[in-house]
Amino acid sequence: MGKTSKDKRDIYYRLAKEEGWRARSAFKLLQINEEYDIFNGVLRAVDLCAAPGSWSQVLTKKLKENTTNADDVKIVAVDLQAMAALPGVKQIQGDITKLSTAHEIIKEFEGLKADLVVCDGAPDVTGLHDIDEYVQSQLLLAALNITTHVLKNGGVFVAKIFRGKDATLLYSQLKQFFELVTVSKPRSSRNSSIEAFVVCQNYNPPTGFVPTMINPLLDHQYCDFNQLTGPNRFIVPFNVCGDLSAYDSDTSYPLLLDGKTTYEYKEPIQKPIDPPYKDILEKTKNMQLNK
Amino acid sequence: MSLLIRTDVTAVILYEDYIIAGIGSSLHVYEKNTAKSLETHNHVLEGQKIYGIIPIKDKSKILIFGGKQFKVIHRSNLELRLFDFSPGSILCDDWLHSGVWTSDNKIALLTAHNVFQVWEVSNNPILISCTINKDNSILYSGLITPLIDDILVFSGTVFSEVIISRCECKEPLHRLIGHKGVIFSVSCSIERGIIVTTSDDRSVRIWGLNGPALDRNTKAYWDSVTISCIHELYGHLARVMRNCITNRYVISVGEDSGICFWDSDGTLLKRIGAHQNAPIWSVDVDEHNLVTGGADCGVTTHPLTVASDYSNPDTLRIGEGTPKKLVYTARRNLAILNETGHLIYYVIAGKTEFIHKIKHESTYVMLSISPCKQIIAVADMNGNLEVFVENCKGPASVQNVISTKLQINKILSMQWADNRHLVLCSESGEICVVASKGSEVEIVSKFLLPHCKERWLTSAAMHLDNNLLVVGDRCGNIHCYKEGKTPIKTFAKVHGRYGPTSIRIKNNEIVTTGRDGTIKYFTVNCNNGVYRIKHISSKDLGFQWVEKCIDSQSNLFCGFQERVFVITDLKNNSKLLEVPCGGGHRSWDVVRYIENINNDYEQIIKLVYLKNCDINMETFCLSKITSKDIIKGTHPKEINCLKSYHPQLEKSMTFFISGGEDTTLRISSVKGTKHFQDEVIIKHLSSIRSLKVFLLESDKLLVVSGGGRAQICINIIHFVKDCDNVKVVVEDVVDFLVKGTDKERKGDKTWRNCFVDFDPETRIMDLEIVENKDNCFLIYAGCSDAYLRIFQFKYNGDKVTFEPLGQLKYHKTCILKTHCVKFLDRIILLTCTTRGEVCFWDVTEPTSVTDNDTTVFSEPFLSTTTNKSGINCIASKIISDSEILFATGGDDNAIHVKIVHVPSEDIKSAKIVHNWTSDKFHSSQITGVLIKDNTLVTASIDQRVTVFKISKNGREVEYSYQTISDVADIHGIDFVKQSGATNTISVFGKGIEVLALSLEEANLTTAI
Repeated sequence: MGKTSKDKRDIYYRLAKEEGWRARSAFKLLQINEEYDIFNGVLRAVDLCAAPGSWSQVLTKKLKENTTNADDVKIVAVDLQAMAALPGVKQIQGDITKLSTAHEIIKEFEGLKADLVVCDGAPDVTGLHDIDEYVQSQLLLAALNITTHVLKNGGVFVAKIFRGKDATLLYSQLKQFFELVTVSKPRSSRNSSIEAFVVCQNYNPPTGFVPTMINPLLDHQYCDFNQLTGPNRFIVPFNVCGDLSAYDSDTSYPLLLDGKTTYEYKEPIQKPIDPPYKDILEKTKNMQLNK
Repeated sequence: MSLLIRTDVTAVILYEDYIIAGIGSSLHVYEKNTAKSLETHNHVLEGQKIYGIIPIKDKSKILIFGGKQFKVIHRSNLELRLFDFSPGSILCDDWLHSGVWTSDNKIALLTAHNVFQVWEVSNNPILISCTINKDNSILYSGLITPLIDDILVFSGTVFSEVIISRCECKEPLHRLIGHKGVIFSVSCSIERGIIVTTSDDRSVRIWGLNGPALDRNTKAYWDSVTISCIHELYGHLARVMRNCITNRYVISVGEDSGICFWDSDGTLLKRIGAHQNAPIWSVDVDEHNLVTGGADCGVTTHPLTVASDYSNPDTLRIGEGTPKKLVYTARRNLAILNETGHLIYYVIAGKTEFIHKIKHESTYVMLSISPCKQIIAVADMNGNLEVFVENCKGPASVQNVISTKLQINKILSMQWADNRHLVLCSESGEICVVASKGSEVEIVSKFLLPHCKERWLTSAAMHLDNNLLVVGDRCGNIHCYKEGKTPIKTFAKVHGRYGPTSIRIKNNEIVTTGRDGTIKYFTVNCNNGVYRIKHISSKDLGFQWVEKCIDSQSNLFCGFQERVFVITDLKNNSKLLEVPCGGGHRSWDVVRYIENINNDYEQIIKLVYLKNCDINMETFCLSKITSKDIIKGTHPKEINCLKSYHPQLEKSMTFFISGGEDTTLRISSVKGTKHFQDEVIIKHLSSIRSLKVFLLESDKLLVVSGGGRAQICINIIHFVKDCDNVKVVVEDVVDFLVKGTDKERKGDKTWRNCFVDFDPETRIMDLEIVENKDNCFLIYAGCSDAYLRIFQFKYNGDKVTFEPLGQLKYHKTCILKTHCVKFLDRIILLTCTTRGEVCFWDVTEPTSVTDNDTTVFSEPFLSTTTNKSGINCIASKIISDSEILFATGGDDNAIHVKIVHVPSEDIKSAKIVHNWTSDKFHSSQITGVLIKDNTLVTASIDQRVTVFKISKNGREVEYSYQTISDVADIHGIDFVKQSGATNTISVFGKGIEVLALSLEEANLTTAI
């Protein structure tokens, strides 16, 4: 494959490199913000499953605009994996299913709770859609679980979901904790992709709800108000976000974009750190593999 | 109601003489030896794939689980039934990874949050215990193994470790640490004392137990055992999904469709491929067979002898000199040419050699054997020719029948064209066809090979009536000669730069192979002595060097994939055998024959090849190594587009023409509710996104397909009667790259010197075909670079033209759908984009092209926006002389139904007169919409299929009912047929499901 093929195939991949984002997903958060204004007044934000860190990059850039004193802005990025450092972001390498991680976040905010929690985490997909959707929903529920420990009432939670066959189960779960739940698809997310984002506004847990880490939230079952099939399924409003004039992620663009006179190839900002296939790559490189 | 399902096979077991497979939510029982389908139970689980099928020891009951559901089914007392089946399942609150019978009426389950449950299942299942383990982060795999006095639980976590715990003990007993990725499977053999794990990190690990001298089935043993990794094994090129343990082997299966057989020392005994490069999801083994289920929707059995008795190798040495060239003879002995040019006849049974000394004037000596393998010709460059014939009976020997000097100078190549004619090509391209005349030879005919760089032949064949000679030259051209010196027909550069490797003529078909990885098919028609030779189709085999066909049905082709000798089975789209022999640049030969071994007819393949001056011989008994399909597979990845067709000559059959992410276009036959088989596979360069069909005449179909790399292909499909079957004959007529081939785009420059190509990569997103005049078609292509491109295609039997007519950029973003409506005497084209726009174009007379390469219809006559974002599907219906109804489904979960008023006198004043929309029926993007009479059907990625009723005037849309499909990632719906009130449709995506629908759920009748 030619060096520029990837740039041609995916406009946002290319723009991310050109604008200095670690991943194209940065545009997704920016476009969600355009629609929902989720950064408004936010000073303390948590980025769950943060690696490689593009959402943390967006948070640092955007939250600064909310205050004159840059020190007021506190961003905590949590991930199991190591992530290359980012100025202004406190990193916690930890498990979001552990209470200790929640305490660490609160400690970072000096006892205060977060205004915004975002999570762009995706699991290791297997290729079997139902398992992938299930694991993604569990990741989201784990994120929601830790969010119940760290988010202030009225706060906002944004997370990636897979819109698969049991998405309605997840919606009905989220609706118990937030007044407003919308599913949103940024224009930078591909049309064909099952990925979308839930934007949950105005955190308002059920009365008497005590956050706990011992019993993880398990997702719902189909019931009277949310049936397996039929008109009584629990479907939340869907929105497309991002400017109509924004680039379209499905469209093929020439390397020389409208209004530009030059094109220069840029290297990726941040390459993966320690992927599981690292050993095998080493081995195939050294031709040790039994053929 | 589901009539047929093909999707990921996520569970499969060997059960007595049966194979039981879980395909989607349905359970399928097949007979192991005959591959006969015995019974199918639909909706065993509710809207959930089956992931586990666990029989109890005495086989009287089976536990079935998947997702959060499980159920127990019982062995039937009825003679013709294996299982009794009743609907309904038990719903747990977490995903199930493993299940096991712990006693006659108890089952144990392990869930994804590491929760261990025991259920009493003698009647209605009752939960009797539930243990929540401490490490409750998500599991990707698990295993439960009952001990005499407790139950062992293996939990494969997302954090790369396996936690071993015991039901009665709160603290985990052991942690197996070492993998670098998610654990996909855990197996344990208590008898062999090993645990096997597989992972995302591509490795298989075998862990050994080092415990006290206690019974391994007791908790005391497991409490004190130490477990260590004894082998870290790499044999898969992608993630390793599952494994199983037999008393001899450890078997792992992977995402790369590889099956690896390991012994206890960690040696890779054998690696075979299956399931057309799709991931293998499920595996089971008994004493003799392995069964696998794959993402290609197939189920295949593999004899275990493939690991132990793959081949019978032998090495021979000859007494005199070193062997240079060799071939098998008809009696499967060897004719060997040694370095001094003498012919050695080597009788394999007695290991005896007969030397025939030959005097040569040149060191360039050629050896060729006739197709019947009885006549051996040896010639040198200067024209000395010796011909030997092998006897049929008595002690094996060869006899020198001709010894002559031809008056041909500088012979460069020699091939047998049939069993009588030898074709020699000399310098300056002179082709001589010689035949025997007593003990001499005569030159029967002479031809001239057109100029080319390396002017000699690589293959030759003679047509039956001895009138037509077909040869392949070293530059990849194929020439056909009859009378006169020059070819009557030449096919230029059909087989790349090394020349065709073989030519076979059978009846009226010419089949050629080449080192460009393809087989090409031609037809020969002779009418009053005038030959018409036509290229029909080309087949890509997936390995570079295709040498020849080795069976009479033209199914088995051999060749080389780099250093490996390969035989591939075209019919099953699978590799029959692989031998790492070092590559094709050596002398080698292969034969296939049937042998009677202990009253069984065995198919044998023998390969002989030279390596380091040794003669290596390998014998393969196919029944020991050949995998057998129980359920034939199909597309290994998502199907993007599909159309069905019922041939006139056999109305009970349906054919599906489908294109997918796997870059293949497939034509599959469907009969009843069980038979589904790919008949033809055609390859594109990249994913196929759209296909449309046009019926040319009875059972002759034009198929236009397009997709990635801006490629458009047109194939003509004929359905012809072949005994009791319908045969599919494909003629490939157009293979067109809108942006030109790589060479056209970049020239001959190497990639280093290549300038940056600024043109966007373009994908064809959708196509539409309309007949303009007789045999003249217009093809509209909606492209990802927002252009609408128009092509003209003309076809009249022999002559094919395909040319761009123009392109136009009206839309700002990617066009997702194109859709044509014939409305009164007009043709209206609808284009839909990723921004939710729908534009109407009058394309009744589209063809005039201006100098600027733009067609005249530069403006749509109507433009509207339906969905908030991409429109994935569109359907239409004409409801009156002035109104068209159309429905779209989009990425925003919404269905839009609109009515357009189109006044015939003034099309420009067309307007939308009615609107209906809803986003309440699907929770995910809508990818399929279909209108048939007054029924509207939508399908979505959320796997729901919704049926609506549309009133006659189109003003009312009423929800009727919804059903769930087992096909994940649905990409569309196609109408199959109508019988009475029932419409049969197919939904496709990750698999295919055929569903019967009617307007009212209650009115369903069974029929396909």
